[in-house]
Amino acid sequence: MIELYHISKQYQEGQWALLDINLHVMKGDFWFITGPSGSGKSTLLKIIFREILPTRGQIIVDGINILRLPDHQIYKLRRTMGIVFQDFRLLFHKRVFNNVAIGLHVIGVPIKEIRRRVFSALRLVNLHQKMWEYPSHLSYGEQQRVAIARAVVNEPRILLADEPTGNLDPELAAEIMSVFKEINKRGTSVIICSHDKELIRHFGDKILFLFKGKIIGKEVLPSSRR
Amino acid sequence: MMVVFFLSPDATAAEIGDIEQRIQSSPYVVRMKPVSSEQAWERFQESFPELREILKSLGANPFPPSFEVTLHKKAFMSNEIIGFIEDIKNTKGVEDVQLNRDWVEKMQSLSRLARAIGFFLGGILILASFFIISNVIRLNVFARQGEIEILRFVGATNTFIRLPFLLEGITLGVLGSALSLGLLFLLVKLFPLYLGHSLGALQEIINFRTLSSSQALGIIAGGVLMGGMGSLSSLSRFLKI
Repeated sequence: MIELYHISKQYQEGQWALLDINLHVMKGDFWFITGPSGSGKSTLLKIIFREILPTRGQIIVDGINILRLPDHQIYKLRRTMGIVFQDFRLLFHKRVFNNVAIGLHVIGVPIKEIRRRVFSALRLVNLHQKMWEYPSHLSYGEQQRVAIARAVVNEPRILLADEPTGNLDPELAAEIMSVFKEINKRGTSVIICSHDKELIRHFGDKILFLFKGKIIGKEVLPSSRR
Repeated sequence: MMVVFFLSPDATAAEIGDIEQRIQSSPYVVRMKPVSSEQAWERFQESFPELREILKSLGANPFPPSFEVTLHKKAFMSNEIIGFIEDIKNTKGVEDVQLNRDWVEKMQSLSRLARAIGFFLGGILILASFFIISNVIRLNVFARQGEIEILRFVGATNTFIRLPFLLEGITLGVLGSALSLGLLFLLVKLFPLYLGHSLGALQEIINFRTLSSSQALGIIAGGVLMGGMGSLSSLSRFLKI
């Protein structure tokens, strides 16, 4: 599904943010990418959703080399992905419903279908009763769940999350991870960047350890534990 | 504007007929009135009754017959009008022309100057509207940066993101041009009402009129073009997708 071959990224001369990263993510995988701050986790995610280009290497997503994708066709790649950011990036002047529906509007889904799918996505994150609230009236954890609902509403094949529990207390973080697990069970491949060791210990199936831009370890837990 | 062609006392009926035909065939002529020597004599007596006795002492009618020709207002703007007057003046049977040529030429150059100033100011205003629309769109792009970023991440096409800004620019252009047409309409209707009497001779020359429907449509189309170009200029510089 996602194949990374010898990915390296250099922002400044002599400083490698990523160096020779190889990774294969299969359909239905649940990957954690972990490492200390500055290890290149976010850079790797940005390369996968083609926010930035690698200095070297190739990436194949669903059989397509995304580095050869012209700029005006990046939207096709993004429509196969859902992205969750640590800072949520919600539109605070729009209601929860509109925040979640935005991804469906851009692909021209009829309004009746939008209502059905937004409700379904919000029910998945247990926020369907707050559909007409403004994000500023929600708690921190609820706002993060709105961001997750927005990412999954168009049923993406891949879900990318950058430190989705970074600012949440352990209970809320576990709740959010349960939502990711539920989405993963439906067949979506999930890649989460996190440095929360406790969370990874509880929820991690496949773990990629990064340090100073290099892979220093991979761990694949036996399927019995998953 | 009126020009008087005085006829020679020796002019034959054929010559007078030729002059009349030439004047009437000109596109600049609105109206032509033949004035006989007797009519001119009577007019003078009515206007200056105190000079009646002096005229009687002359013994004969000193006033030549004439053609009083009213020219179209637009004729002032045209250089060909001088050619037309010269042409009639040189026709056999015409003795003299009453027209202040210097005055006409001055008015013509004034009109050219007014037109040049109009084009210059128009050009500046077009440029100003282009930059204003461009800046409004730029500010809106900055204000909606967060929304644009999210749209990009959820797979919106460039057109989907840019179209609202383009439409906004076009709407501003259309509203601006419609407003200017409205103001022009009011100006044309109200200006002569308030200043008509103070304008004096200028009122004869300055033709206050609203724009024709094709000109108005042209202004609206110009607004659409300016709005669209102003938006596109901002989008190409400040909305990198």
